[in-house]
Amino acid sequence: MFINKITKVALFVFSIVFSQSIFNAYGLGFTRTSFHSSSNGAGSIGLVPTFHPGVSMDNPATWPSLNFTYISGSYANQSHEIINTNIKNEASRFSKIQFAIPFRDRYAIGLTVKPLNNHNSYFNTDTTTINFKGKIINTSKEFRSGGGIMQASLGLALPLNSRMGLGISINHLFGSSRDDQSLIINNIYYRIFNIRTYSGSTFDFDFAGKLYNDSNLTILTFARIGLTNKPVSGKLYKFDFYEDSNNNYSFDSDDYPNEVMVDTISISNIYAPSSFSFGMSATFKKDLNIFSEFQMWNDQAINSNYTSIFNDQISSKIHIGSGIVRFGNSMAREWQDRITFRTGFYRDTYTLRISGNSIIENSLSVGFGFKFATTGNQIDFSYRNGNRSIIDGQKELFNEITIGVSLGDMWFLRRRAKQ
Amino acid sequence: MKETVIKSLLSLVLFSIIFLPACEEAALPMNIDETPLFVDTVSFPVIQTITYQVPPKLGANEYLYFGRKGDFKFLYNLLSFNIVDSTNLYSFKYYNDSLIVADSMKLIMNFTLDSIPDSPEFQLRYFPSQSDSVFNELETNIFNFDPNIASSIISNSSMSVDSVDSNTTKVKLSFLIDTTIINVFKDTSLINFNQTFLIELKNEFTSELKFFSSDNIANPPKLLVYYRQFLSDSVVLDSSFHTYYSTQDVSIMDKVMVSTEDTTNLSVGLAKGLRSLLMVDMGDWVLPPRAIISSAELTYNRVEADTLKAYSVLSYPIIIEGDYSSFNFFELDPYIIESNFQSSASINNNILKLNYRKISTEFGRGKIINYGFKIQSNPNNDPFQTVQFHSLSSPDLYPEMRVIYVYQ
Repeated sequence: MFINKITKVALFVFSIVFSQSIFNAYGLGFTRTSFHSSSNGAGSIGLVPTFHPGVSMDNPATWPSLNFTYISGSYANQSHEIINTNIKNEASRFSKIQFAIPFRDRYAIGLTVKPLNNHNSYFNTDTTTINFKGKIINTSKEFRSGGGIMQASLGLALPLNSRMGLGISINHLFGSSRDDQSLIINNIYYRIFNIRTYSGSTFDFDFAGKLYNDSNLTILTFARIGLTNKPVSGKLYKFDFYEDSNNNYSFDSDDYPNEVMVDTISISNIYAPSSFSFGMSATFKKDLNIFSEFQMWNDQAINSNYTSIFNDQISSKIHIGSGIVRFGNSMAREWQDRITFRTGFYRDTYTLRISGNSIIENSLSVGFGFKFATTGNQIDFSYRNGNRSIIDGQKELFNEITIGVSLGDMWFLRRRAKQ
Repeated sequence: MKETVIKSLLSLVLFSIIFLPACEEAALPMNIDETPLFVDTVSFPVIQTITYQVPPKLGANEYLYFGRKGDFKFLYNLLSFNIVDSTNLYSFKYYNDSLIVADSMKLIMNFTLDSIPDSPEFQLRYFPSQSDSVFNELETNIFNFDPNIASSIISNSSMSVDSVDSNTTKVKLSFLIDTTIINVFKDTSLINFNQTFLIELKNEFTSELKFFSSDNIANPPKLLVYYRQFLSDSVVLDSSFHTYYSTQDVSIMDKVMVSTEDTTNLSVGLAKGLRSLLMVDMGDWVLPPRAIISSAELTYNRVEADTLKAYSVLSYPIIIEGDYSSFNFFELDPYIIESNFQSSASINNNILKLNYRKISTEFGRGKIINYGFKIQSNPNNDPFQTVQFHSLSSPDLYPEMRVIYVYQ
């Protein structure tokens, strides 16, 4: 009980922290490429099986192949480093919490909560000096933002025929973010801040099919179509400037003026993602899998009123990735044989809506998972290393370690009658 | 077994969370040209200045004065006492009880020094013909108060030394007041009788006599009412007294002459009643939406070069057009102020910097019309200190407003 309590408290405290990237300051911020630690280890976007033979925890269409009901959580530690500087940021947070229940052999249902994007950033500028008729004015600026869109999903998997399955996810998007912009005059902060709320919904249709199967080779194919049901809308609370006399980041009675006016604006259609993803996986002997994935993602929102620090936002992304997964055998006697090995690489090309510039992200991943206990419990570790760059702009390196714990139990599964 | 494994796993996760990440948050450098916030500066010239005079304002002062102090001549003092005693229980109506007999009354004022300079004599009058209010310490002056409404002299006194202990002596002025006056005070036909006295010197006095006023918490003027209480026809308690403290008091001064320096410079002073106006030309300046003024400083340079300690100046925007044509005397200050937009500062190294950012914000947003500013001495200053600042006639030390603001 004590461990459980400590775990909950620690996870809550750490889950409020993000690692900041330069690129989080574009529009609503960056969306993770993958969320579950098993997908991370293979550099996958979650279409192809990486968790268990035939199963990706990020693809509901594959959940019927789970042998047990799983409660699963992934926790990521990220670091970002700007190249040619000594600036490095590091922080941790949950990347996914999930509950998936397979039932009646070919069906499954699941609930998932995950942070969809990362809006965390913290910038400052050099100090400049103005001589105003003999009065020296030193000014600099600071910009902070945090929060973002969360996604809560209800996923359902059902069979199309003996070789194909379909997954349907209904995703509710919600959450809020805040940005704080400061101009500092002779060490006095003049802050302006905005609070944004988000609400919308999307659908994902996942497909999983067995194209070819013989004793030496199985070829699986996967696809996903993501559509927006209700584009994200929200309220923008624009607070006027105040002098943060005590520099405590919040407006209080010590600050000037006595009250801060807020302008509340309702804004619609600020985020409307749509995507098409396709993946193939070839399974060879001894559960060796080679996969490849492709994704086209677009934000079809027409309202760019939620301006960020950089007056631009991500409008589209193309993902190409490939990797190898060798699944462990949970029934093996030797523990080494129960280990699942994963590795992969990908390249994401983001396009910015206003400037048209591209952000390139390249990454290499490795990971392993270990099964234990009879109910298929699994712990996954992954390490991802990569870089992001923008033309004529900064280049950053990122590293990410993800830990995932998936605990299985026998719920709604047909049990063999006792002889 | 299963539980042990789960606990081990959770411990491992917890360990990982705590020890693997070292949360760091370092600001990322950004090119200032790409950023959205801006600072701007603008100077506004002062285009008109004038000093004017009003009756002296001594009501909020800590002292009451008799005699003369330089050019200042004090005519008399007005004191009003609380309608209930220090215990907040007994008004003068209490002494109408048949078992309570008020024998006498004393009005006591405490001198600021512990020795008597000469032997001045004082006389006391009161206001039996007036109802509930005789004067207002913040407004009453020689021009709006007629001392002839007071009664004839009801008591005479001179200052006396009261030894508090072997090391401390206090000098008091104490008037003994007889029961005829008490009878007026306790008369039930007079609702909230004024309980006000006029105290004056019997003869001209060439130096200053300074007593503590009601604004001095430790030694305010007080009225002691001595009484006896009968428990029955034959049993009487020892004589006792109730204390009534002064609530308002003011020294009334004769009109003061001003110098040429007072009128050509921007002058402020309480005893001389000097105040100044100045008009800042802000033109059609508009403060950008959501902007904030960091400072809107108007710098005043003092004419005198001597050191001045803790002299504070108040300033307000006025709401009517000022008359900048010539020096004027007004019995009542015609320049009504926006009291919510007070600015105040102390003179430092003979420079006064008043920050008008609150009212300048209103000017910049077009919510209030700029009619200029009034400056005046803080009531807590030495009332007899007149401070002069350079006006527009100064070639290089004239006042100017400099505004620094931040906008998006």
